[in-house]
Amino acid sequence: MGNVVVWIVWIGAAFGCIASGVAVVSFRNPFYSALALIGNLGSLAVLYLLLSAEFVAAAQVLVYAGAVMVMFLFVIAYLGGEADAPFVGRHGWQTVGAIIAAAAIFVEIIVAVGESSLSHPAKIDASFGSPAEIGRLFLTDHLLAFEVTSIVLLAAAVGGVVLGHHSRRFDAGT
Amino acid sequence: MIAAAWICLLAPLGATLVITLAGMRISGRTAGWIATTSTSVSFVAAVVAFAKLLSENPEDRSHLSTAWTWLGTDQYHFGLSILLDPLSVFMMLVVSGVGSLIVAYSIGYMDGENEERRYFAYMAFFVFSMLMLVQAGNLLLLLVGWGLVGLSSYLLIGFHQERPSAIAAAKKAFIMNAVGDATMALALFLLILHTGSLDFGSLIAISSSSSLVINLVALGLLGGAVTKSAQVPLHTWLPDAMEGPTPVSALIHAATMVTAGVYLIARTHNVFELAPNILDLAAGLGAVTLLIAGLIALVQTDIKRVIAYSTMSQIGYMFVGVGVGAYSNGMYHLLTHAFFKALLFLAAGLLIHALAGEQDMRKMGGMRVLMPRTYWLFFVGGLALVGIPPFAGFFSKDPILAAALAHGTFGAILWVAGVVGTFLTGLYTFRMLFMVFWGEPSAYAREHHHVGPGTWSREGPLVMFVPVVVLGVLSVVGGWIQVADFWTPVSNFLEVSAPPLVTASGTQEAISSIFAVAFGLVGIGVAWAIYGARRAEVPSAPGVQSALEHKLWFDWLYDRAFYRPSVWLARALYRWFEQPVILGSLREIAAGAKESGSLVSRLQTGLLRVYALAVASGLAVLVVVFISVR
Amino acid sequence: MLGPDITWYLAISAILFSIGVLGVLLRRSPLIVLLSLEIMLNGGNLALIAFSRQTGEGTGQVFAIAVMAVAASEVVVGLGLIVAMSRRRLPLDVDRLRSLRG
Repeated sequence: MGNVVVWIVWIGAAFGCIASGVAVVSFRNPFYSALALIGNLGSLAVLYLLLSAEFVAAAQVLVYAGAVMVMFLFVIAYLGGEADAPFVGRHGWQTVGAIIAAAAIFVEIIVAVGESSLSHPAKIDASFGSPAEIGRLFLTDHLLAFEVTSIVLLAAAVGGVVLGHHSRRFDAGT
Repeated sequence: MIAAAWICLLAPLGATLVITLAGMRISGRTAGWIATTSTSVSFVAAVVAFAKLLSENPEDRSHLSTAWTWLGTDQYHFGLSILLDPLSVFMMLVVSGVGSLIVAYSIGYMDGENEERRYFAYMAFFVFSMLMLVQAGNLLLLLVGWGLVGLSSYLLIGFHQERPSAIAAAKKAFIMNAVGDATMALALFLLILHTGSLDFGSLIAISSSSSLVINLVALGLLGGAVTKSAQVPLHTWLPDAMEGPTPVSALIHAATMVTAGVYLIARTHNVFELAPNILDLAAGLGAVTLLIAGLIALVQTDIKRVIAYSTMSQIGYMFVGVGVGAYSNGMYHLLTHAFFKALLFLAAGLLIHALAGEQDMRKMGGMRVLMPRTYWLFFVGGLALVGIPPFAGFFSKDPILAAALAHGTFGAILWVAGVVGTFLTGLYTFRMLFMVFWGEPSAYAREHHHVGPGTWSREGPLVMFVPVVVLGVLSVVGGWIQVADFWTPVSNFLEVSAPPLVTASGTQEAISSIFAVAFGLVGIGVAWAIYGARRAEVPSAPGVQSALEHKLWFDWLYDRAFYRPSVWLARALYRWFEQPVILGSLREIAAGAKESGSLVSRLQTGLLRVYALAVASGLAVLVVVFISVR
Repeated sequence: MLGPDITWYLAISAILFSIGVLGVLLRRSPLIVLLSLEIMLNGGNLALIAFSRQTGEGTGQVFAIAVMAVAASEVVVGLGLIVAMSRRRLPLDVDRLRSLRG
């Protein structure tokens, strides 16, 4: 019984993922694309939960969908912006090449994954994926990653300030 | 004694280096004194070597000193060696002695030119090269010296670089000498091939080869000698070489370099004796040259060219001397010729210097009044040249004629040529003297005659006069060290190195002397009649006159036969080969590089999406690689 | 475990990644490109989480969180660039911004 439920949830989430992904790439209006991405992030969070990664799912929703996407929406709203029409017009060699490259990558990954034997996932206990476990890992085994990531965030913050700096020379009458 | 020989050789080289390295920091006069000092040191060293050599037994008088092995292979071995024997010491004394006098003279002659340092560096280098040539202990080093004197000659003839005629003359001299160098090199190749070494012993060892080879070797050496000594047919460079400054003409083209051919034949006499036909050829060419040069000298108007043709003629006598096997007679004439020919050139230099560079005899005249001391020196030189006793030429020229007479029928023909030659010598020499010095001072002479400050006796600076006087004295007494058969210290000295093939009898000596002096006096008389006292006219023979003025068409022939085809070939090659093939291929390579560069730069489209596509494609390929490797 | 095998999750991840690649290569607006980039990153994250579940170690999840942080930073800088571009009146079209053409 539980297996069937999980399967149904999985199919739904997977469908939502893929659909929203296609939607992001296809919409003309970047605003709609951003909204589709939020949907994508939500579906992914569900998938994470199915994989027992509770903390990551929560972080995804809070940080990614909550903060990052909101920022995205702010900027899109500020810029107005209609993007280009992606699937009309002449399809030059770039389009063909892009489709071929993407298809190739997809096929290769499937081949690579399919060749390996991934049928027996490990047994896990209740603390797998819990905040305590993630926190412990961050502060012991992967401390370096933790620190480096914080430096990257700092750099991004500085970069944001620099880029947002109002320079009288470059502003055209704002 | 060996040390003295090395010092003699290296002192002038040291002077060249010092003058070159000092550059603009020393004055021209200082450079001149450095050069003079070095050649004087050379001369002193040569005298020391000579004295030491005399103290030994005649059989022991041959020393070979090797500094180090210059080229050594399994089969061949060449050392940097000098040979000290009577022949080389003799030449060392001549070169360094006369050289010192002339370099000292140059200090005055070249005063005021702004390139004096270069001149003295070249002169010192020439003295070094000539000494290397005469002191060489093996034929390879001799060839090196040979080439270096050719180089020095080129540099000094073309000294006045701003004159196109000087540059052309220098090129002509060098290229013509290259022909002689080539024949000499071929001879040396044959020698190595058949005897395996280039020591002087190989000249004896070659006797085991076929007579064709021996003749070729001798012919090759003769070719070099003929070119360097400006004998017919490779003589046309010498008159042009008068473009160089007068001391250069005196030293290189009268006293020393052009006599190198005579020295060569004497030094390599062993191989020549194995090829008597070539030796006869040498004598024959000498005789032809002495007549032709004497004839051409009769129509020359440039004072230096008269003396140049005279040099050619006298070297013809020397070739006759060594050609009949009288090596020491030929060398002795080399010695006295160095004295009086240098004297004539330097005295002419005094004239030219005082007349602000004028060399045309027709513009001179009556210089006896304006420059009496020069006149007397010139007169002494002229008498020595014609061979009037008791001056130097008499004692050296006549034994050559006597030796020719002792050489058989061919020798008798040579003797006749030589005697006629003395008539011509008297004629052209005194034509020159009378034209320049007798009569009324010409208008030109009056106008331009000037001597600068600090001159002695209004004729020239002391530093120029003293060497000329010394040479004058030598031209008088220099012949007295050997008198025919009676007293022959020179021949005795040299015979160790080069034993003569003929010995003239007393009768032959006497006949030769009488005829030579007589004809010489007749020549002087005719010259006096035409040019001195103006009692007779030059006989009119327009064909002969034109032929002589065109130097018997030799230059014309060489121009048509060699020069023009070469120029045409050079131009054709440039146009049809060098431009399209060589330059063209270079251009194509450059254009190709540019093309490929611009092709590659087309990848830099600046489009983000193309770059991203490239990344994605690369990623796809890499993943395939990783999968297949696994 | 309940539900599909890890392989299914990996398949989803591959699809997401490919879609992201297509978006980056085919769209001209820099905003959409950034969004597609996010999709690619999320595809990678999904794979990380899946493998973390497969091996039973939390390392994959830790890495996924780090990726999220880096993605956030990248979005900050990217958006800052786009805003600066629009302030300078540059066209928001990657095909028109080609002054690095060689």
